[in-house]
Amino acid sequence: MKNRFLALGGASAFFIAAIVLTPMISAGQGEPPQGQGPPAGRGGGRGGAGGRGAVPAGPFTKLSDGHPDMNGAWSIRGGLANISTNIVEPADKQIPYTPAYKQLREESPKRMYEEPELHCYQSGVPSHMWRQGYNGAGLLIQQTPEYVVFMTEFMGSYRIVPLNNRPHIPESIKLFMGDGVGHWEGDTLVIETTNNNGITWLDNDGDRHSDALKVVERFTLTDANNGTWEATFTDPKAYTQPWKVSAPMTRNANPNAELLEFACVEGNQDKATYTEAVGGKAKEAPIAAPSEFLAPQRGGGGRGGRGGNAPAGPPPAGPPPQ
Amino acid sequence: MNVRPLVVTLPAVLVVALVLTWLSVMGQTPAAFRAQRTPTGQPNFQGIWQTMSSAHYDLEPHAASLGVPAGVGVVVDPPDGKIPYKPEALTKRSENSKNRAAADPFNKCYKPGTPHMIYLPFPLQIIQTPMQVTILSEYMHNTRNLFLTRKSHYPPDSVDLWNGDSVARFDGDVLVTDVANFNGQAWLDRAGNFASDQLHVTERFQLIDNDTIRYEATLEDPKTYTRPWTIRLLLYRHKEPNVRIMEYECHAYSEDSLKEPALPTVR
Repeated sequence: MKNRFLALGGASAFFIAAIVLTPMISAGQGEPPQGQGPPAGRGGGRGGAGGRGAVPAGPFTKLSDGHPDMNGAWSIRGGLANISTNIVEPADKQIPYTPAYKQLREESPKRMYEEPELHCYQSGVPSHMWRQGYNGAGLLIQQTPEYVVFMTEFMGSYRIVPLNNRPHIPESIKLFMGDGVGHWEGDTLVIETTNNNGITWLDNDGDRHSDALKVVERFTLTDANNGTWEATFTDPKAYTQPWKVSAPMTRNANPNAELLEFACVEGNQDKATYTEAVGGKAKEAPIAAPSEFLAPQRGGGGRGGRGGNAPAGPPPAGPPPQ
Repeated sequence: MNVRPLVVTLPAVLVVALVLTWLSVMGQTPAAFRAQRTPTGQPNFQGIWQTMSSAHYDLEPHAASLGVPAGVGVVVDPPDGKIPYKPEALTKRSENSKNRAAADPFNKCYKPGTPHMIYLPFPLQIIQTPMQVTILSEYMHNTRNLFLTRKSHYPPDSVDLWNGDSVARFDGDVLVTDVANFNGQAWLDRAGNFASDQLHVTERFQLIDNDTIRYEATLEDPKTYTRPWTIRLLLYRHKEPNVRIMEYECHAYSEDSLKEPALPTVR
């Protein structure tokens, strides 16, 4: 399981994952509630749902409203480590930062305290969709004629997108997950998100945007289990021109995986471990994790804190606490 | 053939039939509201809802105090409107109430638990698919996934959750849930009413008209209560044009929380 959280990138992901996974590991020791459990090798986890089952390969189906059926768990590999890998415009694959934001981006190693995840903030649009490594539950898309809802286990975040292309909320209201409104252009779902708050990051490497960010996403299925996700970023404060990323979207390997509760605020002790060198307040980073923090926190709620997480260093090695 | 009896009896039969019909209509209780259906045939609870009760402040009858609207209480069983605490649990409730400024998980932005999330003074949105009913609260982006695809919970003592593990089914027009695997940390209201990790909740959501859900929750917890007890309250549909769930990211608004970065001076 370690690889999964290492893949999440951020130093803090490890301990969040560890605490979240602790109950899941315990759950895996008993029989799943019902139905098929998760595939072998996933390291335990919640009982599968015995629910939807895999979506058969072939052309995508449509819901009763005539739109492509995207209901289910998906993966969008949008460049969690560094979004630049997915840039398709401009051709040099560089985010066209304005000077101030370029400087801000370059200072990221000294500003890790500003990483939203450390503060248990929702990850924003679009990067919340990529933080989906837990137990294969992925990015859950729920679609009705009126709404598309995106949910991830990470931070328990969600995004509710009305499909009536309504006007955006007043500009003075800024949200972590922005104000997304959507519509269908043929078989492509188009979502425009504004009212972003300028606190969230685009990836774990510290790529930024301002509160003037507008994201236009296009979700296009190519068959029942595959599609393409594209996003165009416009932000006159942070970027000199619009830029665009693209990534494949694929249905999750475990169609019956369920989202589990993600507690973060409840017991977050991480901020105190961040040193002045990364923008935090601690004089020095703790050397080792106090063992009591790594014990399973039954009844304690949330993560018990991550003790010796040296923010500037790599995630701790070794398996999650049992 | 003598037609006279037919001429007399036919009107008489019609009159009797009309009277019986009238008596039948007047005498019966109003027919239960039949909920509209989703495209897949489920009773349709989708929409944005919020209670107007003051259950969030105190489930029991309470007078007003600073910042707390009065309420007649939402406990419908037992009939006295009081939560049937065991003696030691009643002591703990009193301590919770006395220490609530520091002890109330709500003051720390923690998850509200079940059923508390339902009657928070924040709107919630219900979304339905064949797999699950999802409740999305504006308060701290809390969610509940009500799984329609399984009937049992995690083994006892394996998983403990703030908001519990919810499985659900439709019983005619009623959405029935069964919730367990709690961690016992959440409070039921701001007054210090509480449950332990042995809490087991069953909920019933029923539309009494197209814009009102009657919500009932029965709480069992042998560690805390002498008997199961039930709350009942109404959830009203938000009908403002283009109403949407906003954000109340409680932890992001405190004095020392992370704000937008100050931009560096360009070299």
